[in-house]
Amino acid sequence: MRTTTVLSAIVAAGLTVGAATVEAQTSANIQATAQVLSALTVTAGKDLEFGNVTPGVNKTIAITDAGAGRFDVNKATGSDVALSFTLPANLTSGANNLPIGTWSGGWNTAATPAGATGFDPATGPTTTGSTASGTLTVYVGATVNPGAGQAAGAYTGTITMSAVYF
Amino acid sequence: MRFQLLVMLSALAAVPPAAAQLAVTPVRDLEFGSVIVGVPSSVAPSHPTRSGQFRITAPRNTKVQVRLTLPGELAGPAGAQLPIGFASSDAIAVGDWPGSTPESFNPQATRNLQFAGGTIYNLFLGGTVTPAGNQRQGNYAATITLTITNF
Repeated sequence: MRTTTVLSAIVAAGLTVGAATVEAQTSANIQATAQVLSALTVTAGKDLEFGNVTPGVNKTIAITDAGAGRFDVNKATGSDVALSFTLPANLTSGANNLPIGTWSGGWNTAATPAGATGFDPATGPTTTGSTASGTLTVYVGATVNPGAGQAAGAYTGTITMSAVYF
Repeated sequence: MRFQLLVMLSALAAVPPAAAQLAVTPVRDLEFGSVIVGVPSSVAPSHPTRSGQFRITAPRNTKVQVRLTLPGELAGPAGAQLPIGFASSDAIAVGDWPGSTPESFNPQATRNLQFAGGTIYNLFLGGTVTPAGNQRQGNYAATITLTITNF
């Protein structure tokens, strides 16, 4: 009887210890992270100017030519930017169209087309990769294809460039 | 009789307490990625790669209380702080067993979970950061802690 009582007490103590360990806590950590970047801005720098065009004679403005179009981008240093364009198929003068055949583009962290990284503005977004510079200069060229009977006049079209952090 | 009780005591000593089988593991940080000054940015708890994630492991039928310790700001360069907030549906818990229904809950409140059909719960966390217009550029971070208590 005495032995049973003692052992029962031991058992009860053991159960009490077990119950205490059941109500336990454990924890773990993760991080919340963000990278704050400056606002991304695009400014129209210069129009793409073909100047005088002769009917029936194609005319090309390269990105290194004085007539090349230019956009200026301000961005966060060290950031990657995707450039995309909305391009006209024609320049227009009233009801007359002047077809644009091909496009060329180049971006540079310096404000010069020399050494620019070339791309085709007509084929989807172009990513610049991470560049240490806080600015990009983007140059645009193209070729117009006037017909032999192209009507005389001043032709214009709108080129839109968009930039987003990539 | 004495032998039987000793056997019983040995058996009690050999059984690991349930608490020892309770574990929480960090799986993935809550990543807002690039955010623009002046533009709030949110990550949904259902986002497949950017939501925060913990994995909780416990024996089947265990009941646990989960409690998240959430920051009010992320710390950045030169002492800059980026406010972060959590909406009432920014947490989701889902068991890994068939038929487990995702439970959306307020991460700022405690939540009880029962491992009714398995041994693993995944907890996902979203949130919103609100950079000011003059927010200092750079990398920001803060710690999120998940504490679980079984009962």
